[in-house]
Amino acid sequence: MTQKSRNIEASGYSSSERMGRIFGWLIKANKKYGAEWWILVFGAVIILFISYTAIFPGTLAPYSPLDQNTGPQLMAPGPGHPFGTDNLSRDILSRMIYGSRTILGVAFTAAILSSIIGIPLGLISGFLGGIFDRIFSLIMDSVYSFPGLILAIAFAAMLGPGVVNITLAVSVVYIPTYFRLVRGQTLTIKEELYVEAARAIGARRSVILGKYIFPNVIATVVVIFSLNIADAIMTEAALSYIGLGLPAGIPDWGMDLAMGKKYLPSGIWWMITFPGLMIMTLALGFTMLGEGLSEILNPRLLER
Amino acid sequence: MKYFFTVILALFLVTGFVFATGTKEGVKTLVYGTTEKVTDMDPASAYDFHTWEIFQNIYQGLLSYPPGKTNIVPGLAESYSANAKGDQFTFKLRKGVKFTDGTPFNAQAVKWTIDRVIALKGDPSWLVTDFVKSVDVVDDYTVRFNLKGPIAYFPALAATVPYFPENPNVYPKDKIVRNPSELKGGALVGLGPYKVVSFKRDEEVVLEANPDYYGEKPKIDRIVIRYFADATTMRLALEKGEIDLAYKTLNPSDIADLSKNSKFTTYKLSGPYIRYVCFETSESVFKNKILRQAFGALINRPEIMKKVFLNQNEPLYSMVPKGMIYHTDDFKNTLGDGNIALADKLLKEAGYSKEKPLTFDLWYTPSHYGDTEVDMAEVLKAQLEKSSMMKVTLKSAEWATYKQQWKAKQMAVYLLGWYPDYIDPDNYTAAFAGTSGSKGMGINFSDPKWDALFTKEQTNTDPAVRKAVFEKIQKMWTDEAPTVPIFQGNLYVFTRKDVGGVEIGPTLIFNYNALYFKK
Amino acid sequence: MKNLLRYIITRILLTIPMIFILLTLVFVILRIMPGDPVSAMLGAHAPEEVIEQKKEELGLNKPIIIQYINYMNKLLHFDLGESMIFKQKVIVPIREKLPATIELTFFGMFFTLLFGIFPGAYAASRRRKGRDFAIRIYANVVYCIPVYWMGLMLQLILGIWLGWFPIAGRVNARILVSTFERTGFYTLDTLLAGNLYAFGDVMLHLFLPSLTLGIVLSGIFVRLTRANMLDVLKSEYILSARARGIPERKIVYKHALKNAFIPVLTMLGLQFALLLAGAILTEMTFSWPGIGRLLMERIYLRDYPTIQGVIVVFALFVSIVSLIVDILYAMVDPRVKY
Repeated sequence: MTQKSRNIEASGYSSSERMGRIFGWLIKANKKYGAEWWILVFGAVIILFISYTAIFPGTLAPYSPLDQNTGPQLMAPGPGHPFGTDNLSRDILSRMIYGSRTILGVAFTAAILSSIIGIPLGLISGFLGGIFDRIFSLIMDSVYSFPGLILAIAFAAMLGPGVVNITLAVSVVYIPTYFRLVRGQTLTIKEELYVEAARAIGARRSVILGKYIFPNVIATVVVIFSLNIADAIMTEAALSYIGLGLPAGIPDWGMDLAMGKKYLPSGIWWMITFPGLMIMTLALGFTMLGEGLSEILNPRLLER
Repeated sequence: MKYFFTVILALFLVTGFVFATGTKEGVKTLVYGTTEKVTDMDPASAYDFHTWEIFQNIYQGLLSYPPGKTNIVPGLAESYSANAKGDQFTFKLRKGVKFTDGTPFNAQAVKWTIDRVIALKGDPSWLVTDFVKSVDVVDDYTVRFNLKGPIAYFPALAATVPYFPENPNVYPKDKIVRNPSELKGGALVGLGPYKVVSFKRDEEVVLEANPDYYGEKPKIDRIVIRYFADATTMRLALEKGEIDLAYKTLNPSDIADLSKNSKFTTYKLSGPYIRYVCFETSESVFKNKILRQAFGALINRPEIMKKVFLNQNEPLYSMVPKGMIYHTDDFKNTLGDGNIALADKLLKEAGYSKEKPLTFDLWYTPSHYGDTEVDMAEVLKAQLEKSSMMKVTLKSAEWATYKQQWKAKQMAVYLLGWYPDYIDPDNYTAAFAGTSGSKGMGINFSDPKWDALFTKEQTNTDPAVRKAVFEKIQKMWTDEAPTVPIFQGNLYVFTRKDVGGVEIGPTLIFNYNALYFKK
Repeated sequence: MKNLLRYIITRILLTIPMIFILLTLVFVILRIMPGDPVSAMLGAHAPEEVIEQKKEELGLNKPIIIQYINYMNKLLHFDLGESMIFKQKVIVPIREKLPATIELTFFGMFFTLLFGIFPGAYAASRRRKGRDFAIRIYANVVYCIPVYWMGLMLQLILGIWLGWFPIAGRVNARILVSTFERTGFYTLDTLLAGNLYAFGDVMLHLFLPSLTLGIVLSGIFVRLTRANMLDVLKSEYILSARARGIPERKIVYKHALKNAFIPVLTMLGLQFALLLAGAILTEMTFSWPGIGRLLMERIYLRDYPTIQGVIVVFALFVSIVSLIVDILYAMVDPRVKY
């Protein structure tokens, strides 16, 4: 890591030069891949921006998300409060900025957790085959075919509210997604000539798995990972919305949306509009990134 | 294919608009909306506010309250008397009253009912079993309750639902009834002014005037109780004229909007409903009473009222609510509201400082007390952290888990609410600080001095003595602070302008037969 | 025909392990959840011995493995057991609430197809043009809209601001349900009872929730239809139709769409799980008294048998729909081998 960064410094480009190169590269990529490229870039920009707010919320938020003295209660968007204030006179913009931290953290961790469990299981299951493979596939298929949200609800209710608990509940649901994908890919790659060859020269199983199969699976995993984060975001928000997410005191979009629901008949539109918009935008960012990646890395994957 | 889509779309648009435009009015009916739920349709098992309310309209107690009043008057009993010691109550029953199927109402029916409540051990059975030793049939129209000891407030107990006489030929002796369809004859008819004619759980219950009621015939023939899943839906139904009356429980924002609307009449009931903070006082860090006092001093009640409840509820400075006999405002004069200086002093005394703050989890339950609970928890956290020596983490659990956790002493501080079982200061004090009651609430407070005071108050019928005791207890409460009161709930009823006769007093008993339509 | 029958039987047999696995999972989850039904239903006053007695009555004091075997045994006899909180068979509330959910998903599906298939077909016919791009963006955006947020926004705009549609419940509070209810499908019941006024009202109440569900799920169908249409439009018979001078509109919507519809139909089976999950959230937003709400209520009460029952019903629902879709597909498309 350190070595790499030193190399970049050593390359000696000035920042404007570097920008110019990046821009040129973008244009070239546009020529090569067409509109899909811009989908990818658009998604990446959304993600980068929201990630920035999540990592450095203090630089953007005008108030603390828990500050209950920022102005009048239920103030409509206007000067000083571009997104308005909520019923406890907290600044909604600040809550949105700090809330990105929660949802991104949960969705990202959950996606990593489920891939860490799903990918090796899929690799091994597909590679070994036999009774082991059958049992695992049956379990994973059962969970996969069932509405994921309902399972997540059951898990979240069991574990109770809390950041760690909701992350676990979301991650369990998506293990089969990785398992099925990786297993399918492994089955195909296993039959490829170069794997056969490796086997013929007596390479150890672990070597075949790690050196020949895994690197070929990983390209599709990247695409699915991005799309999966989008799903995890939606699931986290849904759990929070129905009250199974986090306890009060942690700003969270789904919960803010649920809190705004009771002010709907009074016409307080800003309490529900902004959290929903944020959830949608973030999920859209990851979906677009995933779609763009898939078109570029593997044009046939999502065509169906 | 195309036709399929066209047909369904047409169904939506055409029929929807054409048929829903004109309102068709059938029988003159009062539609009553609520967000409550009916539990068991059995006086031996129901133990919630709304189901009791239905029973108070389809049944009748030996004693009862006139609409909107707190004085106990004879109901199915014409009179009652107590012996000198106060542990025996004898009731003379009204003669010539019959159940709908012809079964006469008599002392045997009363005894049968009480025996059934005792045998079935339902949730509210403690209201009988804790006090009543046995019931004797003296003659057909005289019944005697032998109590376990002298109980000053027994008439108030005898007016509660588990004491309501049932028809021995309709209710099964050994089984709790959940739906009216399980009764013999399949219909729920008691001795009250109304009877249940249709029952669809969580959707609607239809009541009609009971032709066999011995008293005055109700002015409205049919009352439909409509069950709403949430307050918002109920509020909109009221605004659209789908319901005539909305009661329990609207959100503060809905109440604020509706009371400004000239189409509706607003009734504000100062209820006996209270909210408070509980501390686990035997093992947790809050076994130190100084910390409990500091917590109490930091609560800023008027601010909570303003921010969370839009000033629709009232700050409470004693466990005994305002409007009840023997109430005092002791907390206001001792710990005060948002008293940061005092709290800091107390915390310092207990060895805490800015560098070493008191950290703890404050528990709340998100749906049991309505949508405002989360807001209240957030505001409380902010108020407590105004003292730099406190660090609060909010934790929540659903009701089932919450209950188990307080029993297992897993929560040091938690928010609770209380609807009284019977209208007496005893029910607001002994239930929290008396050794046995306190254990049940997870407070685990126990002090023989306090228990002695409760026994004195429970067994004495002299108002002067009881007053002195309760005033002393309320004073002691601010020092020991096993719980800290926060507010007293008001209830709001909204009706259309043409509905009259909403008379709900401090007992919160809602007599439907007082309702009428203004012409 | 014999093959088809064998296929159906295998498919049915395959759903059994699926339900079994899900139930085992849910059973284990529920039993290690904190909080139990006894403390949920008894008041704070309940003495220890009453709690113990209740637990014994409900069989909660037995080891989990025995409870599990007992439950599975009952299930084999098509008995979902009895609710632990309310003295009532689990099947009773499920039967009461299921029609509401089915009605919602049915009309939701209608809107899904309406907003999914036609734009999808249109986009394919305008491939790589501006409108194609716009429709694809629509599909992506709509897929990322949280269904409950869509519901809230529609409630706000069409219900509160414009006042056109009721935003919650199944029927006007003034209409007595007991006067028409028979099957629980209110659209059907009101028609059977000949109460057109009530029917209109029921349809009005159905509009917003099913529209919400439909729009949000239509994104997937835009993508599916578009992809399938692209394949079909490249096929030879479309080319020859074009050569014969049949108008483009007719080619796209009559000939091509008919052929692209079949694979889309199969996907409908796969997406049904998504539809059900969406239905739960829609039920929460629109106070719709379906089994999604039932599930949530009973989770709070820790009513184990009812929660398990609802899961069984969901699992059955998903497998039956995918089975039906598969069979339909097999019958429509003779090339499919079982």
